[in-house]
Formats: sequence, C-alpha cells, structure tokens
Amino acid sequence: MAKGMIRLVHRIVIDNTNTNAWEKCALNDSYTEFLMQVQLYNKEKKYHTFSELQQQVPGAEKLHFLVSASVTAYIRQFNGLVPGIVNIHGKPFLPFKQYRFEIIDSDVANAANHCIAISFVTEPCLWIDTIGSTMIIAPGAGNTGNINIQEEVFTETVTLSSRLSIYSFKPAENLWYHNQTEKCS
Amino acid sequence: MERKMFLQNGLAALGLGLVIPLACKKDATITSSSGTTSASTGSSSSDSCTVTDSETAGPYPTKSPSSYVRSNIVDGQPGVPLTIKINIANTNNSCSALANAVVDIWHCNAAGYYSEYVDGSGGNYPTVDYTSSHFLRGRQTTDANGSVTFTSIFPGWYTGRAPHIHVHVYNSSGTSLLVTQMAFPADVCNTVYTTASNYVAHGTQDTSNEADSILGDSLDNELTVVTGNITDGYTLTHTIYVSA
Repeated sequence: MAKGMIRLVHRIVIDNTNTNAWEKCALNDSYTEFLMQVQLYNKEKKYHTFSELQQQVPGAEKLHFLVSASVTAYIRQFNGLVPGIVNIHGKPFLPFKQYRFEIIDSDVANAANHCIAISFVTEPCLWIDTIGSTMIIAPGAGNTGNINIQEEVFTETVTLSSRLSIYSFKPAENLWYHNQTEKCS
Repeated sequence: MERKMFLQNGLAALGLGLVIPLACKKDATITSSSGTTSASTGSSSSDSCTVTDSETAGPYPTKSPSSYVRSNIVDGQPGVPLTIKINIANTNNSCSALANAVVDIWHCNAAGYYSEYVDGSGGNYPTVDYTSSHFLRGRQTTDANGSVTFTSIFPGWYTGRAPHIHVHVYNSSGTSLLVTQMAFPADVCNTVYTTASNYVAHGTQDTSNEADSILGDSLDNELTVVTGNITDGYTLTHTIYVSA
C-alpha cells in the first residue's frame, strides 16, 4: 500500500540579502568563525576567498565542518523540526537530526561576500501516496516502519520544490509492516 | 513610541550621536544626531502609539556562541576521563600568564576518529547529528592565570601518528597566535591502550612520539605531564608559550 520510507532534505541559502533575523545570526556568526578557522589554512595570508583556498590549499574543504559549530546553537533553536516547511496549521512538522552546513563562498576581506547553505535532512517518513504534486507522508510513523498499517496513521502533505527534495528511499517491501500485511492476507 | 521619543529627545538634548546596531534582532537603528528616529519596519503616526511590528512564525533567535565554547567536550564519546589543564604564557612579557587568550582544542576519539563530515559509500551527501556533531572539540578563554580547563576523554590514535591533542591559540580578537599539538607520555598511552575497555580492541599506537613526523623533533616543549589512572581518570597539564 505505502510506497516506502523516505527522508527529505530542505536546503536554505543565506547571504547578505537575507533579512530574516535567524538567518542574519547564522550568517554573521559563521563569518566570525570563518575568520578564526581560516587562519589554519591561510597562515601566510595569501588568499582572500574560500574558493581560492579550496583550489590551492589541501584540507581547506574541512572549513565547511569547522565553521558549522557557529550555527549549531541556532539550529538547536528549531527544536528538531525543519524550519520553513509548515503544515496547514502553520507549524513545522518534519523532524530532523541530521544537517549539513556549507560555505558557498567567503572572503576574509569582505563580509558581504560570505554566503552559506544549510541542509536539513529529515528523519524517515512513511511515504503513503502521491496525489497530483502533493506527497502524503506520515512523519510520526517513520522511525522504525514498525506500524500496523490497518490502524489510523496521522499524515501531512508536502510538495517538492527546488529547495525540498528526497534524500533517500527505502522500498515498502523491506519494511516490517509490509511483511506483516502480507502474512495477514 | 513614548520610550523612543524619550530616547530621541533626551539624546538630542545631550548632543549625542548614537547608532546602536541590535545584533540578532530585527534591524533597528536609533539615530539621534539628526533628530530623527527610525526603525526599518516601524510605522509613523501622529498618535501616541503604533501597532507592534508583526513577525514571521518560528523561533526568534537568541544570540548564541559557537558550540565550541564549552569546557566539557565529551558529547557522549566513551573513554577514560581526561581533564586537560593548559596554561598560556607570553614570551613577550617575561613568560607571564596570558589572560583572555582563546584556546581551541580538538582530538580524536578512542577509536581514532575526529568529528567531521565523512563521505559514505556510494557518494552520499554527508551530514551530522546536530545534537553531538562536534564531539571532542572545544574552546575556552584563559583566566587571569592564563589557564583553561577542559573535560574530555583520553584520545585514541590513528595510523601514522602518535597520540596527540591539537591546540590553536588566538588573542582576544581572534587573531591566530599559535597552532600546535600536545604529546602524551608513552607509558600512560601503553597502560590505557592495553587495559582500558574502549581502547583495547584498537591496540597500541603504531607510531612512537620519537618517530612521529610532527612531534618527534619538538618533544622538549610539546610533551605533556599526565597523572592518574584508568579508574579515576587522568589529568593532563601543559604550558604553551606564545608570542602575544
């Protein structure tokens, strides 16, 4: 019946044109952290931009992770629910623990060129069906797949976009409840 | 509005020009030198009050430091407890204690792995758990005695390197002063790696301090003092000299 288990990924890109207060905090604090951490890879101060560092300095790609500590506290403020994706009640509903922070580019001499992206990867959600462009999912049933499909399942709907995509998929035949259903029939 | 007017009139009366950026709050600027008060999304009216600004739903950010800023850096990693006491001294000031220096440390876990992004098989998009993504990494600012203390675990080791802890010392403005590493006495490592439960499976280190390509020529100033035992944990003490 259900199609399988999916994890969604929601990506936000932040630069100095963003006006949201949370985004400004993440952008500004990540730039401060970048200025500190970049000194590990730019001891002679030869380079200005992150792009240059990535091309010229081995290991500079680790700055993605090293700078990410600057936004972790802000990510905690979402209380484990993906921001910006809300249900008809206007509330976030997609649970997440996994995220990835990326520096799209930065410049030690110009904060205005600092641009970052944060991707939120959801916990597994049961993908029940798709109607038109709308996916029917059950986030609360996704943790183990260990549900009795004959009982009521609370659902939400999402529409994929350029910022919301499917991160992973596990087909229904591998789920415990599916096998259970087959046994019952 | 009344408070705004008070600020505006009061500051103008004092002849003060004041621009206050409100970090991590919505853009708002009080500019009294021109005798005007503005806020980016506020409204003006001849009434004595205005409608409170609307805001989007969701959490309102609280200004928060980097998650490195903490003394306990364990984050659930299993291992023998290790207290790390580092003193920072200034060679430009008679080797006296350097207060307000920022000290970053990081080291691998008992199995020899750092917290970082790890590419999975099949080229997946590496992510980390936001609740514990930066284990065994921390940042402290030195006190008046030039000291910082971290609570951690005894590091493991990985191929080609002797056991070590990385240290990056900054001045109070965040300018790098020194990037260095701290080495461990061989006898303590041998005890931990051959008898402590989280380390035995990995065995003893494959590289001695003397054979280490980074520590081998500088053990005179990078070898730490480590005391204690596996049951109660160990305490590392070390002084790092920087030119500040």
